[in-house]
Amino acid sequence: MTEAEVLQWIKDMPVGATVRQSRWLFGLGETFHFFGLCLMVGGLLIVDLRLLGYIRRIPMRAALAFLPWVIFGFLINLATGIEFFMTDPFMYWPNPAFKLKMFMVLMGGVNALVFTVMEHRHVLVMGNDERTSTFTKVTAGLSLGVWFCVILLGRLLPTFEGSTSFF
Amino acid sequence: MELLASLELTDFSTWLRESDWGYPVVLCVHAVGMGMVVGITWMYCARVLGFAKEFPLWGFDRLFGLAWFGFAINAVSGVLLFIGEPRRLAVTPAFWIKMVLIVFAGLSLWALEKALHGEPDHGALAAGALGGAGGAIVADASAAVVVTRGAKVAAIASIVFWLAAITAGRIIGYTMPPPPL
Repeated sequence: MTEAEVLQWIKDMPVGATVRQSRWLFGLGETFHFFGLCLMVGGLLIVDLRLLGYIRRIPMRAALAFLPWVIFGFLINLATGIEFFMTDPFMYWPNPAFKLKMFMVLMGGVNALVFTVMEHRHVLVMGNDERTSTFTKVTAGLSLGVWFCVILLGRLLPTFEGSTSFF
Repeated sequence: MELLASLELTDFSTWLRESDWGYPVVLCVHAVGMGMVVGITWMYCARVLGFAKEFPLWGFDRLFGLAWFGFAINAVSGVLLFIGEPRRLAVTPAFWIKMVLIVFAGLSLWALEKALHGEPDHGALAAGALGGAGGAIVADASAAVVVTRGAKVAAIASIVFWLAAITAGRIIGYTMPPPPL
């Protein structure tokens, strides 16, 4: 199948067709996408700022307890994001803001995976006054930076509708 | 309405509305501010409602500094968004509903603070008595803050008002009248 055929196949699936025919389903998805955004930002600020040492008097375990909200927010946004894509795949696929946003989401995922595999266990048992390693701080800083870019690129998606490059 | 029309005719308003980057950049900023304000508020409300109990309530003091920063960002970016489209926004009910909902969200957060810290802190006093000369618990007074039923109701109200404010904000985009008013 060619790229266009794959996109057309996705577009013809019942999800996209249903959303396109509805007056409010797309807007409802956008609203939930914002709810998910807020959950992710709120949870990430607590987790990453603690890892960076900004609220060091908080026990590490207590700060990391907010991670499930980040994951919950991400799942909401993954689901609604797929809804958007299936509604209009030909708009999203060539859109440079979409491509870069997806790359950033992937980077955010890899970064989170690195933290989970390599650091999560070690920082959990840290004492309150113990300083996190530079490596941990880099992952925390990258996390805030990457997801910040994801928000910006998402908001810029409509601006680049119909373009194939940023310039 | 005439005042809004003259505002709309200013160069700045025209630039916001018609330039390639004016509105998109302000919208970006508005989304980031939203995440900071609503995100931190929601995490705080979740904590008040019993989530992550080992996270001390005073831990949110510095985070609320950030939330206020986000609020300032959104007050400014919100005013800019209004300057760009004053007449269309003024006749959009969802816009005014959103403004009222934000006021209510703020009020419920204020009520929550009052419910937690407004009255003499009997919990902290009791903890102080128990802690005795050691005083270690007294130093961590907010650990003894009693989360009352009223505080929980205020937390739920705050969550719901922010959900509604975001929803109203989305509806603005869908119900604004077309440009030639």
